[in-house]
Amino acid sequence: MDAILSEITNKFAENEDFFIERSELLDVPVFFLGFHSLIDLTKTKTNIQRNINHTIATKASLEDCLTLLGEEKNVEDAALSILEGKLIICLEVDSKCIVTAPVSKPLNRSIEPPTNENVLLGSLNSFTEELEANLGLVRKQILSEHLRSKSFTVGRTQKKKLSLLYLEDSTDRKLVQQVIKRIEANQEKAIQNIQSLAKALGFSSWGIVSKFNITELPQEAVFYLKKGRVVLFLDQFPAALILPKLLWDMFVLESDNNHPAPMMIALRLLRIFGALITLILPGLYVALVAINPEILQIELALSIAKSREGVPYPAFVEIIIMLIVLELILEASARLPKTIGPTITMVGGIILGQAVVEAKLVSNLLIIILAATTIATSTVIGFQNLLTIRLCKYAMVILASIFGVLGIISGLVLISAYLASIKSFSIPFLHIQSTKDEADHG
Amino acid sequence: MMVKFVRTSLLIICITLPLSGCWDIKDINHRLLPVTMGIAKQGEEYEVILQIPQPTQNTTKIKIVKETGKTITQAIDRISMNMESSVELLHLRIIIIDKETAELGIADILSGFIRAREVSSKTLLVICDEELDSFFANVNGAMESENIAIFDFFEKDKGWTPHIVLTRVWEAFRSIHSYTIDVAIPIVASGESTIISHVGSAVMKKGRMVDRVTSDESLLFNTFHGEGAEGKIEVMDKASVLIVDSAVKNKHQFVDNRPYLQCQINIDVVILEAQKGATNEVIKNDLEKALSNRFKELFAKIQANKADILGLGQYYRSNIPRTKLKEWRTAYYPALTLDVQFHVDIRNEGYIKNPS
Amino acid sequence: MDKSLHVIVMYILTHLALIFFVYPGNIIDSTTQGHWAAIFIGVAVHFIFIYLYMKGLSFFPKKDLISIYFGAGKIVSIIFLLPLACYLLMINIITIRAYSEIITIVFLSNTPLWAIMALLLSISTFIAISGIETIFRTGILLMILFLPPVLFVFFASFQNVDWHYFLPLNSDLGFFAKREFYQSFFAFSGGFIFLGFVQPYFSYSRKKILLAAVALVPFFIFSVYIPILTFGQATASLFTLPYVVVVDTININWLMFDRVTMFFLLSLITFIFLFISLIQWKTVRIINKCIPAVNSVYVIVALSLFTYLVCLFIPNWKEVKNLFWWNSMLRFYILIAIPISVYMIGLHSKRGGKQNDG
Repeated sequence: MDAILSEITNKFAENEDFFIERSELLDVPVFFLGFHSLIDLTKTKTNIQRNINHTIATKASLEDCLTLLGEEKNVEDAALSILEGKLIICLEVDSKCIVTAPVSKPLNRSIEPPTNENVLLGSLNSFTEELEANLGLVRKQILSEHLRSKSFTVGRTQKKKLSLLYLEDSTDRKLVQQVIKRIEANQEKAIQNIQSLAKALGFSSWGIVSKFNITELPQEAVFYLKKGRVVLFLDQFPAALILPKLLWDMFVLESDNNHPAPMMIALRLLRIFGALITLILPGLYVALVAINPEILQIELALSIAKSREGVPYPAFVEIIIMLIVLELILEASARLPKTIGPTITMVGGIILGQAVVEAKLVSNLLIIILAATTIATSTVIGFQNLLTIRLCKYAMVILASIFGVLGIISGLVLISAYLASIKSFSIPFLHIQSTKDEADHG
Repeated sequence: MMVKFVRTSLLIICITLPLSGCWDIKDINHRLLPVTMGIAKQGEEYEVILQIPQPTQNTTKIKIVKETGKTITQAIDRISMNMESSVELLHLRIIIIDKETAELGIADILSGFIRAREVSSKTLLVICDEELDSFFANVNGAMESENIAIFDFFEKDKGWTPHIVLTRVWEAFRSIHSYTIDVAIPIVASGESTIISHVGSAVMKKGRMVDRVTSDESLLFNTFHGEGAEGKIEVMDKASVLIVDSAVKNKHQFVDNRPYLQCQINIDVVILEAQKGATNEVIKNDLEKALSNRFKELFAKIQANKADILGLGQYYRSNIPRTKLKEWRTAYYPALTLDVQFHVDIRNEGYIKNPS
Repeated sequence: MDKSLHVIVMYILTHLALIFFVYPGNIIDSTTQGHWAAIFIGVAVHFIFIYLYMKGLSFFPKKDLISIYFGAGKIVSIIFLLPLACYLLMINIITIRAYSEIITIVFLSNTPLWAIMALLLSISTFIAISGIETIFRTGILLMILFLPPVLFVFFASFQNVDWHYFLPLNSDLGFFAKREFYQSFFAFSGGFIFLGFVQPYFSYSRKKILLAAVALVPFFIFSVYIPILTFGQATASLFTLPYVVVVDTININWLMFDRVTMFFLLSLITFIFLFISLIQWKTVRIINKCIPAVNSVYVIVALSLFTYLVCLFIPNWKEVKNLFWWNSMLRFYILIAIPISVYMIGLHSKRGGKQNDG
């Protein structure tokens, strides 16, 4: 007995908030072990006492009582359970460790509306940090007996819980098996963020397209489940990770289906158009201004020439400078606390809107193009997709500045080819759907 | 792993490879984009006048530059050399050719434009009735205050009227090599109160100006080609009408190596002005008579010149074997008998009733 | 799994890429009147041989051309695969050189050839390395992005036609004596061989491919006839790239852009990327089958470096034309011998199989 106790104590002795409390249950001396920071001890004790009193009434032995309170575990598991915020009851006599669920300190936020995604028409719940709560949210959304979930604990020194959800009737069996196999093979690796998770799943970490579709909305997660995808939850990560990610996900939302079909199609086309505009427009500006002005109508050509009069550097430098300033503004407003954020917007707006043009540093047509590009970028679904498109835009600008319109076109070919070459779990990125029947349209 | 590496590096090469080169980069504000070019041949040398709009703060100034050279390219090169930015003919809209030069022939000039592709083949051709120098000077003086107006004159959705024959570089080029079609090119001069005035059309035969027709005859020419008459006022002593629609029906026959053409032109008009006593019937008859007389005159004139600007030879392509088709202009065209009939339909009389 | 859509898209795109540039010029040069006869003979030959080819291939489900020949014996495979590999390599070189020249003629007159060739090659190599499935999927994306502008300009190019130029209709067979007529088969022979290579990856229905070929017929006809109808034979025969000149004459006022040609040509250039990568992939498949030890990625890279070097050594358009002409013997060998031989081998094996059974 003492061996166990001292082993656990040694592990956590240097933590101020670790406690060992000697107590008695049914006149048997026991030790309570746990963290003050995670457990509300007083309440827990009362609870346990009440439970035991209740069981005594049925004349059960201490043994039975303890099995009712929790399950017995070896030292390794017990130590892990302490970290997870469980209470350990150690019997002094026969060296047993019982892990029980205590009354925990309120460390989780409640279920709130999403902060990173906007919902126009649809359910407003969003995932939180707690894994169980997230699973529960999904279960509430989809009342199906086919929903399956599987949990893993990964990492050797830094443990992390991982849950996998899928609908048995619509998901390809092979996909699920592959995902499970990969996770199990990499169970030793520490998974703290999406990048390490992607690595554990065997993806190259250098791809510019994010391998997961990330959503905060249970509604969307369920939508993907129904379409035959696999949903992963990482403990303390307040979003669902959807596997495999497909190109079409950038443009399709479940809540679109709350509109009549023509509107839905129009909305989706708009998003596709937005993505294309983002990719093409800055490049087109460089190409038309610097390399192929013959494409423009003369009136347009003259007014562009007029707006560029006195601008000291070539169009390529001009647009790169302004694009970078714009990216800085975006990044800065994401970093700053909400109270100072508007300042950045205002200062940025003044810089971009007026001062630069008046100082003859860039042409005012460029400002229009930048604004249009930024607006268009934001129509794409999912922040990580937006980043991808933002990055691709630069490749297009560079190509356009070398080959003009030919550069834009070949940039599009390059991007298309890149997207076409991506595969995750042998499902190509360009698939429309990945249900069991393999309805394939691209 | 290697595969991935090769792929990634290829991708990087694709993107960054020729960053070293900026061959074509020349920003639009460092290019001079002339909209009008005047060409006159003086002895062995070409004189080229360019009208270049130069955007400044608030208005667009128009600059006129002149240079001579053995070829047009040389002349333009010389201009480029002497200007602060390079001259690019990408946006040329109108080529104005001196009358004497047109009479000498413009075939070489045109094929040069088509070959180099810098000048768009959609550029319009115009012949100038006066000295190019004075024309440009006058036009520029008149245009001082306004923006680029000279090509607006020929733009279909702007200042164009059906009296003006529109001929583009490619059409003129086609006519030089085609066996059965010629073109007409509008003739302009600088106007007194207006910027330019339209004086008629030149009849071009194989790229050479052989005769000229009046403005009214040009209207008939356009009517014959179907794109004409819309919205044009036709004045007679008694009334003026607006042609709203026109349709041409041709019946061609080829008997004994002689072409016959029966041509019926249906015109829908709206009455704009009518003097007292001019009934619908009178207007209709007079108009029909006047138009067919005018058309006959036009045809007699172009037939005498052996220039097929109406493109009548097109109808006989199946009748004449290809080897003989080459001789259309000389052997068959002068023998062509044309019977033209105008049929006028008065669609309405406006707000005021007119006696029929 | 039936992936006819992928194969059809690929078939149409690669042919479109080939039709609009050199083909009209070749046909217009080969005869002065009644061009339809020359076109129809080409199209008919095309139909006969793709039908034979696909019929032959259908005897071997799940087998590609290379394994069919290998199955038929070593000598057979050398007789057919060696010329095929040479042909593909030559086509690759010609296409890259010719199209980069066209690009410099039509736009980018100041950009050096080596840069354009490097661009064409590196992107195609990138696609080819990613494999056949990527090529086909890219094809679908490119179709969605670039086929609409191509069709738009194609229909817009009817703007200036004068139908009288269609006459005279009667045709002589003089074009049989012309070099250009035989060169025009480039447009037919370039694209169809890939049908024999995709078998294990993509299966397709023969009927749909034939339908796709039928859908291409109007493009063959009008790519020749639109220049003639716009300019007349006498003028059209003066142009190196007649269809490109026609597209230049299109005048669309409401479009914000002045030269629509650009978009048309550029969209076709994207299909050329596909075409080149497909050819590279085919060549590498053949090479790889013969020397299985080397990683195919290295083969592709080596191949494109070789192509690039050869392209650099071709000095002018005349040499390209010469190469084009030398290539046509091989072209007819490929166009005729391969479909027939596949058909024969197929028949033979079928009969052999039956005898074994019974």
